[in-house]
Amino acid sequence: MSDDFLLRFGLAIAIIVVGMLGYWLINQRLLVRARNNIFTLFSKLPNKPVIVYFTTPDCAPCKTLQRPALNQVSRLLGERLEVVEIDATERPDLAKKWGVMSVPTTFLLDARGEARYVNNGVARAEKLMEQLQTL
Amino acid sequence: MTSQTLQKVDHAALKANQLFIISLSILAFILNQPWLAAFVALVMGLGSALKVPGFLPIYKNVLKPRGWMKPDVLDDNPEPHRFSQILGFVFMTAGSISLFVGATVLGWSLVWLVVALASLNAFGGFCVGCAVYYWLTRFNLPGFNKQPPAGTFPGMKPKARVSA
Repeated sequence: MSDDFLLRFGLAIAIIVVGMLGYWLINQRLLVRARNNIFTLFSKLPNKPVIVYFTTPDCAPCKTLQRPALNQVSRLLGERLEVVEIDATERPDLAKKWGVMSVPTTFLLDARGEARYVNNGVARAEKLMEQLQTL
Repeated sequence: MTSQTLQKVDHAALKANQLFIISLSILAFILNQPWLAAFVALVMGLGSALKVPGFLPIYKNVLKPRGWMKPDVLDDNPEPHRFSQILGFVFMTAGSISLFVGATVLGWSLVWLVVALASLNAFGGFCVGCAVYYWLTRFNLPGFNKQPPAGTFPGMKPKARVSA
């Protein structure tokens, strides 16, 4: 009984890990797309970390969670960070090129314009800060 | 694309439903309890019959009032989501029956298939059942007459409210 439970538990963990690996691979693909399309946003790189934030006017979690988190990060970092907000309904071409599947989606680019992180769904201020510190 | 009337669909309620389906199904597998998988199938079946997400009462009476989940209301078609739940119910029922008759590999495979599809919807924003619904609409099958909201890829979560 105990061995069976452990085996099943291990199997469940293994399946979940495989699923997460698949998700990670999809995110890596999104980062490659972002790297290839960086000049669809900038003609000249701003030489500082950038958060590219895809949203829509009627996205409730964008207003209640993602926007306040971005405001908090912007307040903390001031001029050392640039936040580019893109309304996916006004710029569906950009959303498509960057492979945005849902909103909110945030891409974090380093000072050289390399896309380093992508967050599908709400990314809290703490998470954004952690990611920004590694850029 | 033809014009159509969209309805308010709370995607947080759909997500809560998916999270319960995922959690209970994985628990059923770990504890080797086919009856728990059958319970999930039953809830999905009841939800399908009542045209609501099966675990809606928990979202409505527990998660939403306590602020643990916030409503995410979008203009969307509820029909593809209902169809998606019916598909999940069919797979889950087939899985449960397989488990009770001793076809454990087939049974748990079907349960994990439901977990995978619900996860894709909950975490990736892509509803496979909805995509199948929209695909069937193209063949003018009776009962399948809704188009994806404007600017939305079939099966993806709508990015915006379309109507005023």
